[in-house]
Amino acid sequence: MEKIEVPQEENKTLDGIKKVMYTTDNDGEFKTANYGSSVEEFATQVAVEEYEVLKQESLENIKKGLSSPIEYFMFENRMDLPTLASVVGMFQFRVKRHLRMNNFNKLNDKVLSKYAQAFNIKIEELKDFKV
Amino acid sequence: MSEKFEHSQFAHCESGVVSTLLTHYGLKLSEPMVFGLTSSLSFVFLPIIKLNNMPLIAYRELPKNIINKVSKVLGIEIVKKTYKNGVEANNDLTKFVEDKQLVGLQTSVFYLPYFPKDMRFHFNAHNLLVYGKEGSDYKISDPVFEEAVLCDEKELTRARFAKGVFAPKGFMYYPKNIPTNLDFSSIVKKAIKKNAKSMLTPFPYAGVKGMRTLAKKISKLNPNSDPRYLKNYLTHIVRMQEEIGTGGGGFRFLYAAFLKEVKKHDLDNELLDEASSLLVKSGNTLREFALLCVESSKKIDKFDANKIAEKLVEASKYEEEAFKLLKKIQ
Repeated sequence: MEKIEVPQEENKTLDGIKKVMYTTDNDGEFKTANYGSSVEEFATQVAVEEYEVLKQESLENIKKGLSSPIEYFMFENRMDLPTLASVVGMFQFRVKRHLRMNNFNKLNDKVLSKYAQAFNIKIEELKDFKV
Repeated sequence: MSEKFEHSQFAHCESGVVSTLLTHYGLKLSEPMVFGLTSSLSFVFLPIIKLNNMPLIAYRELPKNIINKVSKVLGIEIVKKTYKNGVEANNDLTKFVEDKQLVGLQTSVFYLPYFPKDMRFHFNAHNLLVYGKEGSDYKISDPVFEEAVLCDEKELTRARFAKGVFAPKGFMYYPKNIPTNLDFSSIVKKAIKKNAKSMLTPFPYAGVKGMRTLAKKISKLNPNSDPRYLKNYLTHIVRMQEEIGTGGGGFRFLYAAFLKEVKKHDLDNELLDEASSLLVKSGNTLREFALLCVESSKKIDKFDANKIAEKLVEASKYEEEAFKLLKKIQ
C-alpha cells in the first residue's frame, strides 16, 4: 500500500486550527490525523490578497469619480456581482449600474438601505464615503 | 439526546455531520462509510457556472448529496426543514435544543464569527451541528474545528440565511426512524457500482473525463497572458481541492478508507485492496498537482502548463483503473 504523507507545515490562515485528513497507520489501517499545509495556505492567501487589490483599485476609481462606494463594499465583503445581486434581491445588470458613481449619485434611500443592510453598515457610510 | 455530547473532528463537513447524526440517533456509521455509501466521490468541472469569475470545480458530489442519498440508500427518514425567515428558524432551533435534540444546519462560512478571517468566503454549503444553548449563544459542533465552539444566535441566523449559490434558506435536518436489519453487503455493492458509473460517465465535464477536460483547459492556458489571472486561476483550482475540499487529495483518501472498511461485508477483498491503493495513488498525485499549481503561481515565468496538465491526467488514469475494477465488484 502506498503511503499517505501528512504535511506538518505552518498555515497562518487557519489561526492555529489544525484540520484533519485520512491517512494510514503502520498496519495499513485508515485513521484521521491533523495536518498543516503551506500549499493550502498560499492558495488562501492569494484569494484574500486578490480582494485587497480589488479594493485598492476600487478606491482609485472612486477618486476618479468612476466607481461607487458600493463597489468598494462589495469587495470589502468578498462578494462578486452575482452574490451581491442575490443578497440585495436585484438583477445583476441593475447592481452593475449601481457600481458606477454617476448612477450611484441618483439612488434613493430605499435602494441604498438595501445595500447598507447587505454590507451590515449604516446608510451614511455609503452616502458620506470618503476615500 | 444523552446529556453529554462529544464533539469530533472530521475531514469533510457534510459526511462528518451526517456520521455524527446517525451515530447519535442509533446507527454507528463512520465518516468514510457515510461518504462511500452515498457514492460521493466525484469530479466536476463546469466552466459555465462561475464562482468569483472562476469555473466551478468540485472533487466530490455537490452539496446536500450525502443528506439526500443517505435516506434513499439506507431507508432512513431524514426530517428536512427550510424556513421563510430567520425569526421562525431561530425559534424552531431553540425548541429543538431545549428538547435536547441534535440537529444539523447548512450555513455560509462568511457569516460564522468563529471562523478565522482568512477563511471567511461566501461558501454557502457548510454543515455543522447544534447541540445546546447558553443564553443567546448556541453550542456548535463544527466538524472542521478541533474543539466545540459557541456562536451568537443573531450571527448564526445570518449565516443560515445567506444568499447566492447554494443558498441554505435556513436548512435544518435530523434523522428519524433508522431501520435496524440493514443488508450492508448489497447496499455497499450498489453504492460502489453507482460511484463507478458516475466516475466513468461519458459526459466530458464529470468524472475521469472531467479531469481530462480540465487538464486540456490548463494545457491551453497562455503563459504570456495576464499573470494576475493565471495566478488566480491556478490557486482557485487548488482552493476548490484543498480548502473547500479536504487536504490535498482528501476525498480520494476518504474513499480509499471506505473501500478498506467495507471489506468486512463479504466482498471481493483483493479487488477492494487494489482499488483502495489506486485511489491513494490518485490522492497523492492530486497533491503533487496542487503543489505544481502553487509553484507556478509563485513564479509565473516558470509556469509549465503541460507539466501541470499531465499530473492531472496521471491522477485520472489511476481513478479510471480503480473504478473499472470496482464496476465489476460482486
